[in-house]
Amino acid sequence: MAQSTITLPFANGQREVVKYPQKRPLIRLTTRPPQLETPFSVFNEGIITPNDAFFVRYHLAGIPTEIDTDTFQVRIKGSVNTPKVFSLTELKSFDPVETVAVLQCSGNSRGFSQPRVGGGQMGNGAMGNARWRGVRLKDVLATAALKPTAKQVTFKGLDKPVLEATPDFVKALDVDHAMDGEVLLAYEMNGEPLPMLNGFPLRLIVPGYYGTYWVKHVNEITVIDDTLENFWMKTAYRIPDNDCACVEPGGKATSTTPIKRYNVRSFITSLADGDTVKAGENVEVRGIAFDGGYGIEQVLFGDGSGGWRAARLGEDLGKYSFREWRARFTPDKPGVHELKVRAINRIGQSQPMEPLWNPSGYMRNVVETVRIRAV
Amino acid sequence: MRTILVLTILASAAGSAMAGVVKIELPLETAVYKVASGVELANGQCLTCHSADYAVMQPPKPRDFWKAEVDKMREKYGAPIPADKLIGLTDYFARNYGTEKPASESTNAASPAVAVPPAAIDAKGLALKNGCLNCHSVDAKIVGPSYKDVASKYRGKPDGPDRVARQITHGGSGQWGQIPMPPFPQLSATEVEALARWILGQ
Repeated sequence: MAQSTITLPFANGQREVVKYPQKRPLIRLTTRPPQLETPFSVFNEGIITPNDAFFVRYHLAGIPTEIDTDTFQVRIKGSVNTPKVFSLTELKSFDPVETVAVLQCSGNSRGFSQPRVGGGQMGNGAMGNARWRGVRLKDVLATAALKPTAKQVTFKGLDKPVLEATPDFVKALDVDHAMDGEVLLAYEMNGEPLPMLNGFPLRLIVPGYYGTYWVKHVNEITVIDDTLENFWMKTAYRIPDNDCACVEPGGKATSTTPIKRYNVRSFITSLADGDTVKAGENVEVRGIAFDGGYGIEQVLFGDGSGGWRAARLGEDLGKYSFREWRARFTPDKPGVHELKVRAINRIGQSQPMEPLWNPSGYMRNVVETVRIRAV
Repeated sequence: MRTILVLTILASAAGSAMAGVVKIELPLETAVYKVASGVELANGQCLTCHSADYAVMQPPKPRDFWKAEVDKMREKYGAPIPADKLIGLTDYFARNYGTEKPASESTNAASPAVAVPPAAIDAKGLALKNGCLNCHSVDAKIVGPSYKDVASKYRGKPDGPDRVARQITHGGSGQWGQIPMPPFPQLSATEVEALARWILGQ
């Protein structure tokens, strides 16, 4: 039974808000398999997204709902000299590492694509920022000793397709990426075991990269000598192979490449469309910004009068984390004010004023606008 | 919603706060396809792998979009949709979730509420029509357990018919592994009873 409903601001945006195990009521996109979106107001509670509010995305309906951590194992096999099997306890004997990193779905904000495209019709809530604790994939792989011919490392979790004919969800990283010391096998999220629906008991953490690589319930790691060419790498999760990852709205890409790093995004979180403020009164506006791992250099706030001013940046929890920003403004006259926010990262990448489009509705990062009314 | 059950049994492994079995129970599936001409195709071909809300949330798009979706399910995801059902499925989605007008005769497509006793219902025909036999067969496991296995599990148990009936109506996983069964809330209590009887008689 749904607790309530919410309507996202696009056609067919009616959603139930439903409580799931280990979760507060979240916006339900689909039931089987479950896909849940974080209500946007959560992002104003702090720059760490609580586990019980963190979004959920699965592809295949055969998801685990019962896991025995005493028997759970992760297997390292393929092009290695010494295949390995680790229990969770054994994994925990490697040096622990913590990283604060944003997890964002490739199709976050897809519902705003114009023209609309098929796929999960999310608002802006298919993202979250957590403190992940685990072990370096590099350290674990080193014990298996990769063969010199190794080219990619593939990852598979406990979730599986209903039909044997459906491609199982397996993703690949190049060996250099897998061995960069930043990719983790995480067993904790914000100081607690991962919620079941977020990949308990072990999840691949690929900082700065879209969520499609963050394989949940990961239990099979295979080193391969070639490039994985399954449905999930070769057909799905691909973007136009050009600098903007975009084509003319409604068009087709001539060549594509697997989706990779997040582009720059920023949001106003303290005010939403339709909110009212007092004319002539100074208001503090707050929000978040992030990018694919270069770090946020500057956030510019536009109060609707035409100019941009630098926002004050909050605590730096690392280059992969949400960064809080704050700015003040005074709406001088009553009426609608269009507030905008635009972030710039440390290598000068920013956000477009008009949305870019691609056929899968990936990587939306337009400068966001919040329309408020001063009274 | 059913009670949410999260069990964490602490085992003896010292220092491990996560040892033991963790189990969750998901809320019931309630999304259903619109009752209209062709709905039995959607129920029979699509619900095996995903809930109806996958279609419900899509933007209103023209026939080409729905044809591409149906083709993708067949060609990329391996859905065993018979070739002669492709057009009917596309019609159903284009008319009910797309930009086309629903066919005028579709208003009476719901199963007529005729008072037939369970024993008089052709249960096998019902199973065929509702797509049950896409995932189950009488004597071999396909996606779900064989009906003979279901029958032997519940044989002699007084609550057997009720439990099978509940599973048909509400779906869910846990009894036979991790693949969840879709719910069939569109079946009447009499139809569900007939199906349960037929299954338990195998």
